[in-house]
Amino acid sequence: MNEGMALQLSRLYKTFGSNIAVDHVDLQVPAGSFFGLVGPNGAGKTTSLSMAVGLLRPDGGTASIFGVDVWADPLRAKALIGVLPDGMALPERLTGRELLTYMGLLRGLPAATVAERADELLAVLELADAQHRLVIDYSAGMRKKIGLAIALLHAPRLLVLDEPFEAVDPVSASTIRTILGRFVASGGAVVLSSHVMALVEQLCTHVAVITRGRVVAAGPVAVVRGATSLEEAFVHIVGGHTGGGEGLSWLAS
Amino acid sequence: MLRHSLRGRQAVLTVLGFVAGLLAAGATVAVAAADFDHPGVGTDVLAAVYLLWTVGWLFAPILAGGGDETLRPEHFALLPVTPRQLAGGLLGAAFVGVPAIVTALAFCGLVVHASGVRVLVAVVAVPLQLGFVVLLSRVLAAALWAVLRSRRGRDLGILLTAVAGMSGFLVQAVVRALGPGLVSGDAPVLSAVLRWAPSGWGTVAVTGSWPTAVAALAGLVAANVALLALWGVLLVRRTTRVAATTEPTRRRAFGGRLPATPVGAVIGKELRTWTRDPRRRVALLSTVLIGVIIAVGPMLSGDGGPSPYAGIALVTFGCLLAGNLYGLDGSALWHTLVAPGAERADVRGRQVAWLLLVGPVTALFVLVLPGFSEPGAYPWVLALAPALLGGGAGVVALLSVFAAYPMPDQRASPFAAGRNPGVLRLVQQLGIALLLAVVALPPVAVVFVGRAAGVPAVSWLGMPVGLAVGGALFWWWGALAGRRLASRGPEVLAQVGKPV
Repeated sequence: MNEGMALQLSRLYKTFGSNIAVDHVDLQVPAGSFFGLVGPNGAGKTTSLSMAVGLLRPDGGTASIFGVDVWADPLRAKALIGVLPDGMALPERLTGRELLTYMGLLRGLPAATVAERADELLAVLELADAQHRLVIDYSAGMRKKIGLAIALLHAPRLLVLDEPFEAVDPVSASTIRTILGRFVASGGAVVLSSHVMALVEQLCTHVAVITRGRVVAAGPVAVVRGATSLEEAFVHIVGGHTGGGEGLSWLAS
Repeated sequence: MLRHSLRGRQAVLTVLGFVAGLLAAGATVAVAAADFDHPGVGTDVLAAVYLLWTVGWLFAPILAGGGDETLRPEHFALLPVTPRQLAGGLLGAAFVGVPAIVTALAFCGLVVHASGVRVLVAVVAVPLQLGFVVLLSRVLAAALWAVLRSRRGRDLGILLTAVAGMSGFLVQAVVRALGPGLVSGDAPVLSAVLRWAPSGWGTVAVTGSWPTAVAALAGLVAANVALLALWGVLLVRRTTRVAATTEPTRRRAFGGRLPATPVGAVIGKELRTWTRDPRRRVALLSTVLIGVIIAVGPMLSGDGGPSPYAGIALVTFGCLLAGNLYGLDGSALWHTLVAPGAERADVRGRQVAWLLLVGPVTALFVLVLPGFSEPGAYPWVLALAPALLGGGAGVVALLSVFAAYPMPDQRASPFAAGRNPGVLRLVQQLGIALLLAVVALPPVAVVFVGRAAGVPAVSWLGMPVGLAVGGALFWWWGALAGRRLASRGPEVLAQVGKPV
C-alpha cells in the first residue's frame, strides 16, 4: 500500500441486481490534493464514495486511506476521514449545536474540546443564529453546512464530500471554499463529487471523470482538460454531444 | 386516470374495495327498506347509518394519505383557468371512482325509504347528500394539506393518524353503547341529533312534513354551495402560496447531566428524540395508555380494584412499540457508521434511554397497583418487572438491529404508511413474544416453587432472580446487537435507508 496516497481505490466493484453500478474503479488521491470526481447523473460517483468511506460494502476490490484498509481495519480508517454524504438523514430532532456536541462526544473527544470547536464551526459557517433550531427545520443549504461541520469536527486528514456545494448560497459556498483550501494547504486531502465543471476546474488540483461505473480519465486538472475547458473535455471524454441545438424551432417564433 | 390505476395489485384492491362497498351499500338499502316495531325508528336508524357514511368520508383523506393526490391542483396552477372552474373540474373528478359510486348506491336507500310522491324528493336528495359528503371530504383534505406544509403541522398529522387509526374502535364502542336505545325507540335526544345533523337532512326530507322537507333540501343546497366556495378559497391558497417556514427556537428538552462519553451522548440524543419525534411520542403515550387501560379495566367492569399486572403488560407493549428504532431514524444511521467504534455505544445508549423512559412508569405501576387490589401479587410482579425491563431493553436492541425495516422519511407526509413488510413484521412480533416469555420463565418458576412449597422466603427470592436475569439479558442481547451492527452496519443502513 502506498502511504503517500490519501485515498486509494483499486478494482472496486459493486452491482445492484443486474446493474453494474461501479465497474472495477481504480483511483489514487495523493495527500495534499484537492480531488474532484465528476460524471453524469447515475455514473457511480456516490456509490464509489460510499464504498470508500465504509457505508456500502463493495462486492470486490479494496479501498484504503493513508494505507489503512477501510474494510479490514475500519476503526483506524474511520478516525482519519470526515464524511459528508448526499441526501442522507441526520438525527433530525436535535438542534444544530446539540448535533455537533453529540457527534464530538460520540467520537470520544473531550467535552471542552467539542464545545470550543462547535462554537468556531457554527460561527464560521454562519449557523450561529440557527444553532438552537432543530435540524429537521433546516434548509437544504444549512443541512449541507451542518454536515460539513460534522465532517470537520474531529480534525480528519481526508475529507470525502458528496456534492458539498449543492443548494448552498454563493456567500456560504465561498466560505466553504476558503475552509477547504486551508485544509488542503495544511496537508489534508479533499475528495469531492460535483457536476458543476467550472467549480471543479477552479477549485481542484486533480480530477477524475467517471461514467457508467468506470473511471475514463484521471490526473491533474491541466492534463485531463488539455487545451480546452474542463467542460468541453468532459463532454468529449464522456462521448456525449451537447444537445439543445436542433428542433424546438417554434420556441423562437 | 382511473383506468390507468386499475393495474395489478392496485386493481385487486380496488375490486375488493368495490365489493366491500357494495355490501355496505346493500346493507344500507336494506336498513332503509326494513320495518321496525316503533314508528320513526327506521328513519332514525337510517339517519345514523348515513352519519357513519359521512364520518367515513371525513376519515378517508386522513387514512388514505392526505387525500387523493392523483389530480393535484398545482398541476393546473399555470393553466389559464379560474379558481371556480378549477374547483368545478376537480369536483367532477372527485365523483369518478369507487367510493363515490358505492356511496351513491347507499344513498339510494332514500328512494327506497320514501313512499308515494316523496320518491321524487328522494331523487333530488340523493345527489345533494352525495355532493355534501364528497365536498366535505375534499374541503377537509384541502384544509389538512394547508396545515401539513409546515413541520409542526406534519407532527400534528401523525397524532391525527393515530387517532384515526383508533377511530374504528371508537365507532364500534359508540354504536354498541347507543345502538340498542335507538332501535327500541326510546332515545329522543339522540334521534333529534341524528336528524338535525346535515347527514340526516336527506332522510328528513324524505320523511318529515312538507315544510321541513323543503327546509332540509334547501339546507343541503346551501351547505354544498358554502363548501364549494370554501374549497375554491383553499385551492387558490394552495396554488398561489408558498410554504410558510416555521422557525421556533427550541432549547434543551431534558437530559440533565449525562456523562460526556459516547454512550452518554447517545442517551442524550435518544431522550431528546423520544420527546421530540411525534412518532416516538405516540409510541410512548400508547405504551402508558395501554398500561392505564389494563389497570382500570377491571374497575370499570366492576371486578374490584385495579389489575396488579398492568405494569407487566406495559413493559411488554413498550418493548413491542420500540422494536424498530433504526428504521425510525432511517438513513441517519450513516453518522454512527462513520465514527470509529460508535456502533456498540449507540446500541447501549438506546437501551439505557428506553429503560430510563419505560422503567420509572413501570416501577410506579408495579409498586402501587397491587397494594390497592391484591397484595398477594407483589412477589410475582416484583420478580417479573426487573426481568422484563432488562430483557425488554435487550429485545429492543436485538429487534432494531436484526429485524430493521424501512419507514417513510420523516420529512415527507406523515400519512404515507409505507409498504409494511408483512411477513417480516409478523416474524418479528412472534420473536418478541417468545423472547419475553423466555425472560419471564426463571423468576416465575422461583416464585411458583416458593408458593407451592408454602415458603414465603423462597417466593421473595424471585425478585433478586428477576434482577439478575434482567441485568444479564440487557447486557448479553445488547452485546449481540452491538456486535451485529458493527459487523453488518452497511447492510442495516441499506435496509433502513430504502425509500418507502
